[in-house]
Amino acid sequence: MNWQWRWAALKNGFQDATAYRIEFFFEVFGSAVTPAIIQIMLWYALFQVGGASQVAGLSYNELIHYTLVSTLFTQVRGGNNDFELSEMIRSGALSNYLLRPVGVVEFTYIRGVAPKIFIAGLCLVVGIALSFFLGLNPTRILGAMGLAMVGNIIHYQLGAILATAAFHWEEAYSVLMVKNMLVAFLSGELIPLTFFPEKWAWIWKSTPFYLYVFGPTQYALGKWTDAEFFHQVLLSGLWLIGFSILVRVSWALSIRRYQSLGG
Amino acid sequence: MNTLIHYLEIYRVQLKNNFVREAVYRTNFLTTLFVDFIWIVVEFSLFTVIYANTTTLGGWTQPQIFFFLGVFFSSDALFTVFFQRNFWVFSDLVNKGELDILLTKPTSPVFLALTRSINITAIFNVVLGVLIMIKYAGPAGFAGGLAWFKVPVWLTVGLFTALHIRFFSSVWVFWTDRSWAFTHLYYQFFNFASKPDTIYPKAIRFLLRTALPFAFIGSVPARALLDGLSTTEELGVAAVLCAFFAANGILWNLGLRRYQSASS
Repeated sequence: MNWQWRWAALKNGFQDATAYRIEFFFEVFGSAVTPAIIQIMLWYALFQVGGASQVAGLSYNELIHYTLVSTLFTQVRGGNNDFELSEMIRSGALSNYLLRPVGVVEFTYIRGVAPKIFIAGLCLVVGIALSFFLGLNPTRILGAMGLAMVGNIIHYQLGAILATAAFHWEEAYSVLMVKNMLVAFLSGELIPLTFFPEKWAWIWKSTPFYLYVFGPTQYALGKWTDAEFFHQVLLSGLWLIGFSILVRVSWALSIRRYQSLGG
Repeated sequence: MNTLIHYLEIYRVQLKNNFVREAVYRTNFLTTLFVDFIWIVVEFSLFTVIYANTTTLGGWTQPQIFFFLGVFFSSDALFTVFFQRNFWVFSDLVNKGELDILLTKPTSPVFLALTRSINITAIFNVVLGVLIMIKYAGPAGFAGGLAWFKVPVWLTVGLFTALHIRFFSSVWVFWTDRSWAFTHLYYQFFNFASKPDTIYPKAIRFLLRTALPFAFIGSVPARALLDGLSTTEELGVAAVLCAFFAANGILWNLGLRRYQSASS
């Protein structure tokens, strides 16, 4: 295992993402605050305007806590590096990477995950500070952040599989856009997944998306027992293995169509 | 009158050029439809799940929210048809000096900057939004009949609101190296438009109807169509849009003075 290029890619990815520091922090701050405000307003409308005392078994305070904690994990969930892969294939820029002694899928991930690792560290500090105010267990925040990082990898693996559509179809980015929309909804980023009536719960349970935000939040808030958490960690391990096989197979099969001028 | 004919003629030529381009990239048509359709499905699913736990949200029943979504999608799709692509390359006009070519033309450069690219295929999304409105009009309590004539008026209000806010978020490129941060902020605030404004507390609601009038894209038009607005509210909408029009005009002219061709 050659760690040298991986470390270089990580450093390079971080420098690249933070080259425009103000924009970087602006993006992180904006993408955390605005959705959180909208979500809190939604709870305000349901409880303060609508007069509800509980929604889907959750009180107003519980939902506010959900929003505050889930916002931390939303920042860590996968980025858009899969779009980068898709664009490389479409434009023919992939050729440059094929000549290098690095795996293009892994290289692109490492470059993209660098700022996320930094953000995860920041969110962990904020989360631990928050845990004292909300009465949460700081070790659970740590474990939940670990699960969120695994979710980040799964998200990218799925993106890398879908990006191979670019070998066959020029507009393959649309598949990634659709994936991101579904992830936003089924990861628990917009609303807690407990809002789903029991008969529809299979929808989110049959994807790994809930492991990105909803799962870590449930564990951090103490809604999952340690046993349930480890069960979910095991499941995420299975998703990781399954997707890594699919990444290899889909790239090995699709790259045969590559013409160096585009997919 | 001659000026109007002159601009209509330019627009006709732009439309023809865009039609030719869309005919070449036919798969783009299906892609646009597919992605927007999924976006609509996700928004509908979100509200369906929320309404599985409550009967009203900020005073809106489920059919009323779906009617609002129809108005919002149509309004947003109209913006996509006429202006969106032009804003994707707006910063290049200044940063790469591409504005030079527009300044040499014997017509308004801002008109050319905002009308060069037209996404004709997105018209189908406008139709999709209108079909949603038609489906939920009755259960939402929409009066129907002659009231349908108000729909294009309010969709136009939504279109021009989006245009003015987007322009306001982009014009700063004359002063900054990159307008990306403002664009990002625009899309963050745009999320406020995808929910009815009555769910927000008074202070935010006021902001969404004045300084950041995202409520005029879908929420206020939907309310105007379902319940009607008071004269004060209608005057408020007109005043805010006029203020943005004036501010954008001033900023554009100030920006042009600062423009130094390639990378101002």
